[in-house]
Amino acid sequence: MASIRIRNLVKRFGNVTVIPDLSLDIPDHEFVVLVGPSGCGKSTLLRILAGLESVNEGDVYIGEERVNTVPAAKRDIAMVFQDYALYPHMTVRQNMAFALEMRGMSKAEIEERVQKAAKLLHIDGLLDRRPKALSGGQRQRVAMGRAIVRDPKVFLFDEPLSNLDAKLRAQVRAEIKALSQQLRTTMVFVTHDQIEAMTMADRIVVMQSGVIQQVGSPEEVYEKPANMFVAGFIGSPSMNFIPARMTDGEICLEDGVSFPAERLFPVRSQAIEAGQPLTLGVRPEHFLFAPDDPAAFKAQVSLVEPLGSDTLVHFTAGGIDAVARVSPDLRPKPGDVLPLIPAPNKVHLFMPETGEAIC
Amino acid sequence: MDTSNSQKAQLAALSAPSVIFTVVMIAFPFCYTIWISFQAVSATGMMRFDGVANYVRMVKDGQFWNGLWITIYLYVLSLTLQLVCGTALALLLFRARRLPGFIRSLFISPFMLPPVVAGMMWLIILDPSLGAANYILTSLGLPPSNWLASPALVVPTLALIDTWQWTPYVALIVLGGLQSLPPSVYEAAEIDGASRTKTLFRITLPLLLPTLVTAMVLRSVDLLRFFDLIYITTQGGPANASTTLNIYGFRMGFEFFQFGYAGALMITLSALVLGVVLALNRLRNAVAW
Repeated sequence: MASIRIRNLVKRFGNVTVIPDLSLDIPDHEFVVLVGPSGCGKSTLLRILAGLESVNEGDVYIGEERVNTVPAAKRDIAMVFQDYALYPHMTVRQNMAFALEMRGMSKAEIEERVQKAAKLLHIDGLLDRRPKALSGGQRQRVAMGRAIVRDPKVFLFDEPLSNLDAKLRAQVRAEIKALSQQLRTTMVFVTHDQIEAMTMADRIVVMQSGVIQQVGSPEEVYEKPANMFVAGFIGSPSMNFIPARMTDGEICLEDGVSFPAERLFPVRSQAIEAGQPLTLGVRPEHFLFAPDDPAAFKAQVSLVEPLGSDTLVHFTAGGIDAVARVSPDLRPKPGDVLPLIPAPNKVHLFMPETGEAIC
Repeated sequence: MDTSNSQKAQLAALSAPSVIFTVVMIAFPFCYTIWISFQAVSATGMMRFDGVANYVRMVKDGQFWNGLWITIYLYVLSLTLQLVCGTALALLLFRARRLPGFIRSLFISPFMLPPVVAGMMWLIILDPSLGAANYILTSLGLPPSNWLASPALVVPTLALIDTWQWTPYVALIVLGGLQSLPPSVYEAAEIDGASRTKTLFRITLPLLLPTLVTAMVLRSVDLLRFFDLIYITTQGGPANASTTLNIYGFRMGFEFFQFGYAGALMITLSALVLGVVLALNRLRNAVAW
């Protein structure tokens, strides 16, 4: 078990700078999820930690050791790959034993470790099968088993759930989280799926274009996004962004709809100058159905997506298209007009030019 | 119903050319050879049914067993050399990805030569008195060799010539196999601490087995029917030391006009090729991952 420290890391592929300058601390035992869209540099960062990619500038430490030039085999890390990377010609037992054989461990100890990990992952009945005779979920477990037997300092996961169907993904997600709590080893998990990030992480690192946008607990990045990118990336459906302006204690949307500012964000509104252009951020789940509220605006329903537990309503109001999550009991239909109002203290404010959140 | 009949007619019309080709060019000669192998054929072309006499004669014929032994000896030796050298060349070309194109082409050029040209070229190189091979040996202080003129050396020499010509072909097949191996498996092996040698023997070669068996099938068919190079260089000599089953059958048919016996030899050789190919196919299924 070990902490990870990254200082001023720069990674280039030819003339393309993938990571311009990145620093990050991951304490011992923590489950950190690197999340971001494709091409944001999260997998590159993971591969640098694994020793599969070199560093152009900066320092990477695992524990107290600077590992910039330490080969992958000597870093005492284990990695679960997106395509599992199981050795297809070997049985499950041989796959799990391979790294231990390379370390020169005795056969008895290898067998003991393999059996222990196999029982933990409920694959002890599959040990003599080859990967082609396993389902996607079973392969995923074997890949984890191969990592666990090594008892490494750090586990690295490179989008290991992306090849599973939705139901299995949810199941394996829960299993990995339970495993992380059981093993208490430092884990770095890469995904582009914000649900995986939210459900599994102790801390989430949101990345874009090789730059860390925010580091925080799932609650922090959801409730206090640092900027519009984080606000839009975390949460499903995405946060609605509405251009607005502050005038005389009111938040005015572009077509004249307005709300009393103090009602939406009583504390923060004092820091905003009159006339200042703003971007309001409202999550779909933070629109309230308010038929008796005079401040509610009229949302013209254009599309309805029933999800069972709740219903997504696409609507037009204030010159923008937005989405609200409402109770399925409302049974809205396209063409209906719903009186909605943003929930107090749940509205986010951003600077339109920089996208930064206004505290 | 009409549509179904019209579709059937269309299918028949479209497949007819390939069916006719297969029957005329493959099935007929093969069946004719089986038929002729049960005939006694005179020099004038008169045929009469002779039962299994040609096959009985074959079993009692020392030359047949000699030809079978040489065929298998040449096959095993050539195939082993070609697989080892082809795999080594493929690994070299795979690692040296930045090698200029014309050098890569140079490596793989020999198998583009017609066997007759390759045979003539090696006849000159291996000429005992004027050839470059003996010149090099004597320059190094080594005794000259008789190469193709020595009964003991003729089969290994033919195997070396064939290896020179067909190693690049095997290398191309293996290179294709190498390029299709999943890169993440190698990254996993790197993290697992496998050295280069361990990666080669524990990962690369086992993963290449299905490709190697495919190369074995393709080369086996050619090697068991080894003919053109031998015909150009030794004509089966010296003293029948390079008379393979194919050469022996050819001689029986076209030098001694014993077409019935030649047919029996060719059917036996075909059965050998078929048996080897079927065995290799089973092996390929066993090593598939």
